[in-house]
Amino acid sequence: MRYLRLLLVSLALLLVTATAVAQDAPKEIFVYTDSDTNISDWWTNTLIPAFEAEHPEYKVVLTIVRGVGGGNDDIANRALAALETGDDPQVDYFETMNVDEAQEWVDKELFLEITEENVPNIANVIEATNRLPGEIPYRGSQVLLAYNSEFVAEDEVPTTYEELMQWIQDHPGQFVYNRPDKGGSGAAMVTRAIFEVTGKDPSLFVPGEADAALIDQFPKAWELLSSVHEDMYEQGAYPAGNTPVLELFANGSVNMITAWSDQALQAMNKGLLPEGAKLAQLQDLPFTGGYSYSAIPSNSTNQEGALALANFVLSPAIQESIVNEIGGFPAVAWSELPEELQTQFTDVITDTVPTWPGGDYGAAMVEGWYNNVATNIDPAS
Amino acid sequence: MGSLPFSIIFIRHHNNSIIFMTTLPTPVANGRSPRRWFRGSLLPYIMIAPPLLLMTLLIFLPALQSIIRTLIVDADGQTGFSFSRYIAFFNDKISVSNLIFTFQIVLLTLATIFLVCFPLSLYLRFAKGRIAGAVQILVLFPLFVPGIILCYALIRFLGTRGTLETILSIVGITGYRTPYLKPEAIVIGLVWESIPFTVLVLTAGLGQISDSLIECARDVGAGNWTIFRRIILPLIIRPLLIAFSLNFLGIFGAYTVPYLLGPAAPQMMGVYMQQTFGQYRRPDDAETQAVITFLICSMVGLLYVRTVAKQRIQQEESE
Repeated sequence: MRYLRLLLVSLALLLVTATAVAQDAPKEIFVYTDSDTNISDWWTNTLIPAFEAEHPEYKVVLTIVRGVGGGNDDIANRALAALETGDDPQVDYFETMNVDEAQEWVDKELFLEITEENVPNIANVIEATNRLPGEIPYRGSQVLLAYNSEFVAEDEVPTTYEELMQWIQDHPGQFVYNRPDKGGSGAAMVTRAIFEVTGKDPSLFVPGEADAALIDQFPKAWELLSSVHEDMYEQGAYPAGNTPVLELFANGSVNMITAWSDQALQAMNKGLLPEGAKLAQLQDLPFTGGYSYSAIPSNSTNQEGALALANFVLSPAIQESIVNEIGGFPAVAWSELPEELQTQFTDVITDTVPTWPGGDYGAAMVEGWYNNVATNIDPAS
Repeated sequence: MGSLPFSIIFIRHHNNSIIFMTTLPTPVANGRSPRRWFRGSLLPYIMIAPPLLLMTLLIFLPALQSIIRTLIVDADGQTGFSFSRYIAFFNDKISVSNLIFTFQIVLLTLATIFLVCFPLSLYLRFAKGRIAGAVQILVLFPLFVPGIILCYALIRFLGTRGTLETILSIVGITGYRTPYLKPEAIVIGLVWESIPFTVLVLTAGLGQISDSLIECARDVGAGNWTIFRRIILPLIIRPLLIAFSLNFLGIFGAYTVPYLLGPAAPQMMGVYMQQTFGQYRRPDDAETQAVITFLICSMVGLLYVRTVAKQRIQQEESE
């Protein structure tokens, strides 16, 4: 009898301690990413430790689904299925997500609306990110000019598209951009020509059905780009991707290129580019760029944790780390970041990030470029 | 060929296309038990059924459908037979220039391949010793290098300020113009990729020429040139035709090398088709281009099949 009582007491004690431990155990936040290694590494090595240090009550479980089926889209569809049956979706946070990619996701409100109430830092996100209610823009990338300051004097660096065209003509063989369908940095050079001849107003180009009147003006852009065709690297050679262009710049074959900010910054940090490599942005209308958006499923079982993570990602410290460590652009205004960083990036800072809609416009852009700029054959003749 | 009365050979060529070589079963003499009948007549057909089905379902049928689709055109709400898609292709300067460009590259590449590979195979057939062994390994090396790696290596080697230019400038040669992003680079890349396969086929062909044949000729006073012209060349025509046709097929549809090393325009058909389909979003035109490419390649394929079939017939006759 005495033993039984002892047993009961010790059992009860055990139960109490167990629940106490369970309450103290950090609650898991399930994050899914299908982004490149540099991004998932940065989450693992920088972002997650920093978040867990500030929020010991949470534990982030990062699952990398890069190259696994449809990546994050598959997980979103799983969450949708769970939403319909009321099950646990086992995901709390998508590192990147196009929340309106599937009409079903929109109709069934799969993603949580983000407001200043649930994520206070969303207020600092700049207008240029054009976010939908369910989106948390957190890192960007924009196409820039990269130049070698050893050969290009500071006052010679083009600040407008017109000056850029002039510079290319004055320095034959020293500029190159890639074919517009093979990488965004070359596409930005072509779309910027289209913006140039349509009144420098990117807002005219909206996704969906293409405006025939705008496409009719494309030939003016072909004329503009053809006027510098012979002055390109090797009298009109266009590499087949962002990396080959960066490589031509790295080995000194050319002295100016268009490049993605993150690829250029990472290459600079690794010492792959010439020592005099510098970046610049056109001041009249910058090159195109884009943002990566995170999202939280509305049926997440740890919504509180996911929202805390979203808020943390948009904090100045992490936004600064995005610039320094992964060469991304911040989603918040540059003015939110330390002044030192602002001075360092003063030549490329812009809160204007034009986007190109792709779709029918994209097809017309690529085909027009190949048939009119890259070749000397006039298909109409 | 051992106990089986027929053969199926698979060759993995570049671009990962698989080439089937099948020769039909030799008729087996009568005087049969059911078991023999099964092994002699039925079993071979059962065994060639899977590849045959695969080819019919995955290659012939879709190809036939494509050809029919390109010939049926929807005009004014009426569907009818028409060559209009092909007329449009041949009236478009860009597509015609791409087709001509593809032919030029293929012929130039083939000529270079034989200039490089023929002497190499002759050397490997007749030379013995360590150096020959090393050359053999070197020749086969490209088999193990993926195309995309080759392209980036060639960009670094041939590009401006690349390895070649650096070496040339050390020995005092300046004024190097890079072939990168020009047609020459495609030829260089494709030749490099095709060396192992071509040398393998040619050395196999040369291997069938027995030493005694050559010694006999030498005994009656034939010089090297006579031996080459009168004995080796006639006996190697067939392997040459096989190497020609299989290389032609691989090069005509090449994608990675022309895409990464070649110019933005003109383009080879492989790159052009992908572009028309994926970037210009015109699947109909891409299909027309594909059928034209297919028809050209199937003519060369026919040459290949005839060459192999002739060989079989001659072998059987001599047996």
